[in-house]
Amino acid sequence: MAEIRLKNLAHSYNPAHQTEQDYALKPLDLTWEDGKTYALLGPSGCGKTTMLNIISGLVKPSEGQLLFDGQDVTSAPTSKRNIAQVFQFPVIYNTMSVAQNLAFPLVCRKYSDKDIKFQVDKVADLLDLTEYLPMAAKKLTADQKQLISLGRGLVREDVNAILLDEPLTVIDPQMKFELRRKLREINKRSGITMVLVTHDQNEAMTFADEVVVMQDGRVMQSGTPEILFEQPQNTFVGYFIGSPPMNFLPLKNDNGILTCDHTGFSQKMDKLPSKDQYSLGIRPEYLKITEQQNASFGIAKIIQIDDIGIDGIITLSFEDGPHIKLKTRDHKSLHLNGIVGLSMPPNKSLIYQNNNLISSNI
Amino acid sequence: MFRFYKILKHLCLLLWSAFVVFPFLWSLSTSFKDANAITGGATYIPWLEYAPSMQGWASLFTDNEQGINIAGPFVDSALVTILASLVSLILGTLAAYGLSRFEYRMGFIKNSDITFFFISQRIMPPIVLAIPFFLMLKQLDLLDTVAGLVLVYTALLMPIAVWVMIDFFNGIPKELDEMAMIDGCSPIEAFFRVVLPNSIPGLVVAGMFCVIFGWNDFFFAFTLTFTQTQLLPVAIVSLNSSVTPWWSLSAFALISIAPLVVIAFIVEKFMSKGSLSGAIR
Repeated sequence: MAEIRLKNLAHSYNPAHQTEQDYALKPLDLTWEDGKTYALLGPSGCGKTTMLNIISGLVKPSEGQLLFDGQDVTSAPTSKRNIAQVFQFPVIYNTMSVAQNLAFPLVCRKYSDKDIKFQVDKVADLLDLTEYLPMAAKKLTADQKQLISLGRGLVREDVNAILLDEPLTVIDPQMKFELRRKLREINKRSGITMVLVTHDQNEAMTFADEVVVMQDGRVMQSGTPEILFEQPQNTFVGYFIGSPPMNFLPLKNDNGILTCDHTGFSQKMDKLPSKDQYSLGIRPEYLKITEQQNASFGIAKIIQIDDIGIDGIITLSFEDGPHIKLKTRDHKSLHLNGIVGLSMPPNKSLIYQNNNLISSNI
Repeated sequence: MFRFYKILKHLCLLLWSAFVVFPFLWSLSTSFKDANAITGGATYIPWLEYAPSMQGWASLFTDNEQGINIAGPFVDSALVTILASLVSLILGTLAAYGLSRFEYRMGFIKNSDITFFFISQRIMPPIVLAIPFFLMLKQLDLLDTVAGLVLVYTALLMPIAVWVMIDFFNGIPKELDEMAMIDGCSPIEAFFRVVLPNSIPGLVVAGMFCVIFGWNDFFFAFTLTFTQTQLLPVAIVSLNSSVTPWWSLSAFALISIAPLVVIAFIVEKFMSKGSLSGAIR
């Protein structure tokens, strides 16, 4: 178990890297505390897997250092890092039985037969694999195979971290939920650091103590799910986190006073360069529908109602203006093309300058 | 219509099998004939068309002057084929794994060029190699020896092993090696403990190719040996003299292909058990 620190780390798969575009992972600094759960969240090709492979040693970073508990392991071989990793598709040793698969990391590390049996039985019990132990591993189903991959990570009690690279892709939804819960439980009990790579925000938010949102090889924001939801540091995070995504409305800058057309929103701020772009970010969850006369955030027309079960997602249009989405439980009483008033708690509006958060009004 | 197609298919297959099996049947019937039966026109059915004789088979197993020495060529052939195949398989598999998993660069030479270098050894017509091999073996004093032939055959068989195994290793996801390293293996341990056990089907195929090519080769066995060492194909052809003993020659030829037939049956059994398919995932 160890604290993992990525220090000025960057990686490019192109050995002659010149421009920033050549980097799969742009220079970054991150510290992962021992025993917590983390999620790397971002669209495909944003560098999540590269970061994971650097930590496990499958990829050597072109710049920077990787520290485990302050010790430089940048050049240490994979086998010496004591890391467990689960890939997107199950990787099992076909020529071995389930028990031999689970025992393999311990056999490689020359544990005694007694210790191996004890650990394998314990992990098999934890993952409900006991009855399959003597079977040939290749005879199992895909999700059972993935459990074996995970089990091989769990048999080592002193493992530094478990890296999970979208491991739940092949597992059916019911099992997914169960497995995620199990992983959390293992983390709480054994205190093993876990890092989950995913592009599913629900998975990230429910699993992790802290979520790292990435795009284009850059860390956009790292924080608790609550911080990511309430205070996205940039429009990308606002857009990527939350369903439906955050609303962004353009703001006009009139000598230090920002105003938003159609809504009556205005805000005075100091030192606002006039050439910059400003926008107002509002979570659909915080917008409320009111009577027209009580509207504090303008009047709009309902152009779409999507019923998603208990909630409804209402798309509204300001007169000749932008569209805005809103999430509500009272969608049954609303009608298409109806004109309604909008209101918003003032402390929930966020102001972005060139796509970066500058004021949160809290 | 469907029935007609089925009958046609079976007729074609029957014709083809007759075509393939005929040389063997011909050899088999010839091996039981004596001089009279052989010169007496084409006959196929024993007892009816000709009187069977054991003289051909007997000559293979007699030790006197009339007998033919088959033990010597058999042992030489087996030694050369097995040793050359083993060396080719071991070196070829290691080379193929390296070429499949690591990136090499020597100036402008890359992995694909090295692979082509191996395979180009087989593209070249063997006659090109005859004189160089002859001179090299002469220098080393290895002409007409089993050791010399093992060296030459290794050079001929290794490209086959490399070729088959590269393809096989490319089919094994590299995540398997990576997982083994994460589980605590060094790269070489990952190869021996995880990749190799998963490669048995590929090794069987590569080994089979090596054995078939090695066992059947006539050209180098003929050009690089004289009297001390003799391989089966050369020994059989050398029976061809002014009066060819067709009965002995046929029996000899049938015996010399027997090991390959046995191997074919073993591999076929192995394949039908499903051990050769679906090794990954």
